[in-house]
Amino acid sequence: MPGSIPIRQFGKHEGVRVSALGMGGHHLGSAKDEATAIAMVHEAVDGGVTFFDNCWEYHLGKSENWLGKGLKGRRDRVFLMTKVCTHGRDGELATRMLEESLNRLQTDHLDLWQAHGMGFENDPALFIRPGGAAEAMLKAQRDGKARFLGFSGHKDPAIHLAMLATGFPFDSVQMPLNAFDASFRSFQAQVLPELNKRGIAALGMKPLSGHGEPIQSGAVSADEALRYAMSLPVTVTITGMDKPDILRQNLRIAQNFQPMTPAEMKSLEDRVKKVAADGHFELYKTSIKFDNPEARLAHGFPVDMQSDETKETVLASQNDGHPYPQIS
Amino acid sequence: MTIDMNHEADNDFTRRDFVKGAAAFTASTITNVRRSIAGASKSQAGNAANLPQVPKRPLGRTGAEVSALGVGGYHLGSTKDQDEATELVSRALDAGVNFFDNAWDYHDGLSEERLGIALRGRRDQAFVMTKVCTHGRGKDVAMQMLEQSLRRLQTDHLDLWQIHEVIYYNDPDLIFAPGGAAEALEAAKQQGKVRFVGFTGHKDPEIHLRMLRQGFPFDTVQMPLNAFDASFRSFETHVVPEAQKRGVAVLGMKSLGGSGEMVTGGAITAQEGLRYAMSLPVATTISGMESLAVLGQNLEVARGFQAMSASDMQALRDRVKFYAADGRFELFKTTKKYDGSVGREQHNFPTAQKLPL
Repeated sequence: MPGSIPIRQFGKHEGVRVSALGMGGHHLGSAKDEATAIAMVHEAVDGGVTFFDNCWEYHLGKSENWLGKGLKGRRDRVFLMTKVCTHGRDGELATRMLEESLNRLQTDHLDLWQAHGMGFENDPALFIRPGGAAEAMLKAQRDGKARFLGFSGHKDPAIHLAMLATGFPFDSVQMPLNAFDASFRSFQAQVLPELNKRGIAALGMKPLSGHGEPIQSGAVSADEALRYAMSLPVTVTITGMDKPDILRQNLRIAQNFQPMTPAEMKSLEDRVKKVAADGHFELYKTSIKFDNPEARLAHGFPVDMQSDETKETVLASQNDGHPYPQIS
Repeated sequence: MTIDMNHEADNDFTRRDFVKGAAAFTASTITNVRRSIAGASKSQAGNAANLPQVPKRPLGRTGAEVSALGVGGYHLGSTKDQDEATELVSRALDAGVNFFDNAWDYHDGLSEERLGIALRGRRDQAFVMTKVCTHGRGKDVAMQMLEQSLRRLQTDHLDLWQIHEVIYYNDPDLIFAPGGAAEALEAAKQQGKVRFVGFTGHKDPEIHLRMLRQGFPFDTVQMPLNAFDASFRSFETHVVPEAQKRGVAVLGMKSLGGSGEMVTGGAITAQEGLRYAMSLPVATTISGMESLAVLGQNLEVARGFQAMSASDMQALRDRVKFYAADGRFELFKTTKKYDGSVGREQHNFPTAQKLPL
C-alpha cells in the first residue's frame, strides 16, 4: 500500500502547497502520442502530483497543448507553472507568449510564471532593463494572470545569483539539483542556501541529470538519484517522464519517500565526486545541448539538429497537415 | 577583405562546417581573394626582400625570440596538399615568421607530418612547437606521443612542448597527480628532447589560473586573446597579468573567434581582429592559415607590425561589447564546438557528432 507524495509549502507563501514531485513539461511533449500524454497527466494527478512544469517553447507548443488537454476538469487540483522565452527580448513579446501559453493550457491564469533558461551572462541585465521581461511579468501578476513569478536556468550559479541581485521579487527559482551538482559548479552550494534564507521557493530539476545519463551508465540508480534530490531543502523536484512506466517508477519512489540522512547524502556525493569533476554528467552546464533554439537564436548562437525543437521546426516546414510532426 | 580563415580551431567538425560556409561566399569576395593571391605571388617574385619583416619578440624569460605572428598547425593540415603547405611555410619563413604551432592530434598526425616535410633543410630557422594530448592520462602516454611527434616533425627536439587543451575542470588535478603529464614535461626537458614547456586551453580563465598556481616552471601559456575576450570570461584580464607576474610567456590564439566567426558575423574585420590580438603583451599570436591567400592577408598586418594605441584598443573593445556579452563569437568558451575528440573521449563526453555544441 503506497503512501502519498509529500506536500510542501511554496516558499514563504503560507497556505500555498505543492507536491514534492513535479511533472516536467518537456518530456510530456516527448510522449508517444496525445492520448498517452493525457493519460499520464491523469495518472500523475491521481497519484498525488500537483506541480506541473511547462514552457512556451517546449516542442513548439505541443507540451503546453497536451498538458492543457490533460488538465481539463482538473485545473483546480493542480499548481500550474509555465515559462516565458524572451531570452533578453522585449516585455511585449513576453506578454504575447503569456497569452499563447494561457490559450494552450486552457486556463485564465498560471499559478507560476517563470523567465525561462537564464543561461547567458547578460541575461540578468537584459531581463531587468526598462521594457524587458521583468516589467511584463509584474504586469501579468497585477492583471491576475500569474499568481507567482520566478526564473529558471541550468548553466551557472553565478547567473542565478546575478538574477537575485536584480532585486526583482521572485517567488521561486528553478535549478539543476543532483548529487553531481554537489561538487561541480554547484547550485546546491551557491544558490540553494541563498533561496532558503530569503524564503524563495527552490524548484529542483534534472535529478537524473537531464536524460538519465548516469542511470544508464550505472553511476547511480534512479531511486537513489531521485531520493537524493528530493531530500534537499527544496519545494519540489521536477523530473521529466516521457513514458507511463517512468511515471509509475517516480510515483512509487515519491509515494514511499523517506528523506536520506545527511550521512547517506554525503556518501552518495563522495561516491560520484570523481565522475562529477569534469561535468560530463551535467551537459546542461558544460555544453549548450539543453539550450533550446529560442535561447540560441535570441543570443545569436548556432542551433543544431540535436534539439527536438529544431527538428520539429524543420519538419513543420513540410506542412503535412499534422500539427505536431513526430520526430524520431 | 579576403576570405577569412584566420583561425585556430581544434576539430574536424568545425573545419568542415567552415569550408561549407566558405563555399557560399560572394563573387566579389572571390575576386578579392584572386587579387590577393595575385598580389602575394607578385610580391614573392619581385619585391619581397624590400618589405619589412615580421618583428621578433622575446619568449618570456627563455632567451629565445619568436615572431609576433605564428603559423597555426591545424590549418596547415587543411591546406590542399603538401606543396601548398610547403610553399606556405617557406613564404612565412622568408617573411620572418619562425613560430610554428602544432599538436599531436591535428588531422591524426597529418599536420605534424606536413610541417616536418615543409621544414626540411630549414629546421634551424624555425621555432617548432607541438602539443601533447594526454587529457588526464599519465607520463608514459605523453612520452610515447612525444616520440611520435618528433618522428613526424623529422627533428630530434622541439623548441616548445605544451600540454594540449587544458579545458576540463579536473585537468589540473590529473596533470599534476603523481605520474601525470607534468612529469613528462620535466623528463623531456631533462633528456634534451624539448627546450621549453607550457600548456594551452580555450575554456575558462579559472582553469588556466589553477594551472599557473601549481608553481610548475612553465615557460609558456597559450590562450584565446581577442577584442571580445576582454569583456567576457576574460583571459586578457585574469590570466595575462598572472602569467606576466610569473615570467611565463603568453601565446595568443583565436584572434577571430576560432573559425572567423567574428568576421563572418560582421562584428570586426580580419585586420582589426589580428591587429588587436597582436597588440596585447604576447610573445606571438598564433593564427590558422590554410591558404597562401590567408597567409598574405596576415602578413600585410604583421610585416613591420605597429601596435594599436591603447585608446584604439579600448574603442574596439567598447564597439564589440554587445556581441561579447553572451559569448556568441567565442564558442570555444561557451559550447563544445572546439573541444577535440581525444579530450572528449578521455573525459567521457559525447562525440562531436552527438554533441556538436
